[in-house]
Amino acid sequence: MKQKQETPLTILMGLVVIMMTVLGLSFVVSGVWIKAKAELAQVLLDRSFEQTIAEGKPVKPWSWADMAPLARITAKRLDQSNIVLSSASGQSLAFGPGHMSNTPLPGEQGTAVLAAHRDTHFAWIKHLRPGDNIEITGSTGEIKNFTMRRAWIAPYDQSGINADSNEHLLALTTCYPFDSNEQGEERYIVESVLRE
Amino acid sequence: MHNLGTKHAFYKTHAKNRTLWKRFAIVATIIVSSFATVQMVHAAQSPQTTGQAIELASATLVRPNDINSGALLFPSKREGYYVEAPRLATSVKIDISGPIARAVVTQRFVNPSKSWVEGIYVFPLPDDSAVDTLKMKIGDRVIEGLIKPKAEAREIYEQAKREGKKASLLEQQRPNMFTNAVANIGPGETIVIQIEYQQSVKQDAGTFSLRFPMVVAPRYNPKPIVQTVDFKPGQSGWGAVDPVPDRDKITPPILDPRTNAKINPVKLSVHLAAGFPLDTMVSHFHKIDVKSTDETTRTLTLANGEVPADKDFELSWTAKGTAPSAALFQEEINGESFIMAMITPPKLTSEQLAQIKKKDREIIFVIDNSGSMSGQSIKQARLSLETALKRLNPRDKFNIVRFNNTHEMVFPTAVPADKENLDIALRFVKNLQAEGGTEMLGALRSALKDSIPRGQSGKELVRQVVFITDGAIGNEQQLFKEIASNLGRSRIFTIGIGSAPNSFFMNRAALIGRGTSTHIGDISQVAKNMDALFKKLENPVLTGLRAVVSGGIMSEVTPDPLPDLYLGEPIILSAKLAKISGKLTLEGEFAGTPWSVNLDLTKATKGSGLGKFWARRKIASLEASRSRGKGPAIDTMIEKTALDHHLVSRLTSLVAVDVTKSRPDGEPLNTKDMPVNLPDGWEFDQVFGDEAKIVPSSAPVISPRNMARSFGTKMAFLIAPAASPEKAANIASGHSRTRAVILPKTATPADKNIILGILLLILSGMIWVTSKMWRGTGNSVLANAKRKSSNFNLLP
Repeated sequence: MKQKQETPLTILMGLVVIMMTVLGLSFVVSGVWIKAKAELAQVLLDRSFEQTIAEGKPVKPWSWADMAPLARITAKRLDQSNIVLSSASGQSLAFGPGHMSNTPLPGEQGTAVLAAHRDTHFAWIKHLRPGDNIEITGSTGEIKNFTMRRAWIAPYDQSGINADSNEHLLALTTCYPFDSNEQGEERYIVESVLRE
Repeated sequence: MHNLGTKHAFYKTHAKNRTLWKRFAIVATIIVSSFATVQMVHAAQSPQTTGQAIELASATLVRPNDINSGALLFPSKREGYYVEAPRLATSVKIDISGPIARAVVTQRFVNPSKSWVEGIYVFPLPDDSAVDTLKMKIGDRVIEGLIKPKAEAREIYEQAKREGKKASLLEQQRPNMFTNAVANIGPGETIVIQIEYQQSVKQDAGTFSLRFPMVVAPRYNPKPIVQTVDFKPGQSGWGAVDPVPDRDKITPPILDPRTNAKINPVKLSVHLAAGFPLDTMVSHFHKIDVKSTDETTRTLTLANGEVPADKDFELSWTAKGTAPSAALFQEEINGESFIMAMITPPKLTSEQLAQIKKKDREIIFVIDNSGSMSGQSIKQARLSLETALKRLNPRDKFNIVRFNNTHEMVFPTAVPADKENLDIALRFVKNLQAEGGTEMLGALRSALKDSIPRGQSGKELVRQVVFITDGAIGNEQQLFKEIASNLGRSRIFTIGIGSAPNSFFMNRAALIGRGTSTHIGDISQVAKNMDALFKKLENPVLTGLRAVVSGGIMSEVTPDPLPDLYLGEPIILSAKLAKISGKLTLEGEFAGTPWSVNLDLTKATKGSGLGKFWARRKIASLEASRSRGKGPAIDTMIEKTALDHHLVSRLTSLVAVDVTKSRPDGEPLNTKDMPVNLPDGWEFDQVFGDEAKIVPSSAPVISPRNMARSFGTKMAFLIAPAASPEKAANIASGHSRTRAVILPKTATPADKNIILGILLLILSGMIWVTSKMWRGTGNSVLANAKRKSSNFNLLP
């Protein structure tokens, strides 16, 4: 066998193989890119949040950002920490958890709602247990402690969260089920209470 | 392939080359096509990553900033999102009488839901429109709006809303963007909103024109403002009325304007009484049917009856023979006299032009390559700039500033327009791509930075700054301030690009910048409009204009100050006089040559709407002087002028309140009381299309009780016990202290993509291995056969 033959069939096969390889690689890259963006953004946000506390005014994480870091959320037991953004739009959720601006700020009366992607920033909230401490550091550096009370699953439009609650609550929410690859209507909601 | 003949070596290399080439071609095709596929797959997926985007389009949930044409918005349960009311019909009637046009815009809406709603209506109007009438027809009742200071009007409206009376509030958000809130619209009720305004006919180089905006382009709101957001929830529901509501929620436009436009058909008719024999009449972007009654009058309607509201309507007309170079109208209202004068300075003869010493020019082009310019707009902008560059003389100096969220200059300072520099500039322009945000301020600053400091012998040099943009920005005031304080000897010319430029910005920037504004709505207009603009840039300007009324009659003239006039432009001035007598004298100079004209006021023709025209111009002048940094006394003057002339302004609103109460006491009104009740009839339809509700009006309204029931069944408590009973009771009773929260999408396609990608790679690997094996066996047979056959096919 000295010479390979280029028959239409082998060309087609080669074509299919190359196309599938390119397509497969591009899918992997796009998936990894989402994750990488989420990670990288948190590093940049972390820096700008430190600056925000130090300078006492909002510092943008990168020059064209259309959101500002609002707070840091920390779960010590799980060794997890994220910078929360001032917007929960689809764009900013790619970079970090977002505060829904139609809900009060964490620590105020009512329920403050923070949302993030289940497969990146809020992958850890499924490990929270009642009694766990959740720490929120505000943009002035003050720290508020919340105690995890309960969790439930609900459709996104019937969340059971009352923004005008009489208590001082913090709700963390992400998509459910956790290991699903589809975008569903269900949300996992973790509620915690401000520790006075 | 005869690759194994007697000329073995030759054929081998030849074949090798061919195979290589073939392979290369195949690989190239594959790469290109798979990139295209990936792009398509990504395009299909991107709504997932951007969360609400897909829902926004499918559920017709919108935000005020997404509104590209007039629409009635009902607050929805999702924060900052609204449900658009169905638009039954929009009809526009424009009556042009000489220099003034009066328009009646009628839009009919129904409330398709089974509950009482408050609607917010956002719509564009011409930037020089004087809005003076608001009528609300509910059933057969007509409610007329009254003009009140903004805060007072809002109070009246809020009170009526609480009392269950039907009410409407018309507010100005920008001079070319208004909102109208309508309270207590009953279930299934039809509302007709009628807005009337007046505007003046534009005249330039013998062509008269008029625009009716059907589209408000989504605005870009620069970052610094984003950081001043108040994150607290808007309790009154009024926060959303601001067209730039919570700035953190403003994201690039997602709603396809065409999708939106298709559901907003517009009927339009124009009655044109030009006042002089008409020659041509052109509708630039819409097909029209024309009827002419006599040589000065035409009536036109849209040829297809209705059009989607996706581009501005523009009409222009010219006079038969020479265009009238002067016109004078007067009107008396409540003992006050108003005049309007239109004068076109005579064209200079070539001898006269030769006498005027041409000044050396420095011309700075500023081009917008932000994301909003992508598509046709950037092509038009590039072509405009290329046309401009090719027209420069070697004696001219020039530079180019490009901006999106960053800005850069092509040359450090202005350079002579020689071939070498022009080549660099043209190459730069050719490569411009539209992407990113619109940070105009920095670019404006660099463009206004003058190499000759102010007050130093720069008088002989003309410095012209040409802005090429769609002006899709929300921080107009900031830019106006910058222009007003740093203009120096520079003059600003704006070229509005695209089908819906922010004409308020274009005109006001040119007014404050003492230049002129032009619009390019279509690639075919580039050559003609750029030529017209360049004639203005190249020819001397009529400066130092003053208007004097003889006999010491007290007068107030607008615009104040009178602008410089460029070639072919008329001066349209409006004045309030104690009485109409004597002469009006206009004086100015063409590059040192005095010019003046006299008009006999007693010979003025009676007109109508001149008082309002004057008042609108006065408000515009006052607003412009606010940009120059004058105090709050200006606000008082604006408010007084607007109230006196029944005009909506930044400080005054129209409010209409029904005398009778229509909403029964027990019926709740707004989202705050009944979060699930309001738009449910069709929000559920759209979001959950599979839940079998097709006709909005017949859709069952989800009561709080039902919601609580389904909430109870779907809710699974994983770790903690169920919610406290009183909380459940709160939800069930629709208690006013309950405000439901709609949660955003919080899943990315990352894992799915990675898994899919790996699967594809494995599969392709398997195919490759299989084909290898197959070749190893099958091919040898094939090769043997080939070798045999080649013996018969020896080449000569």
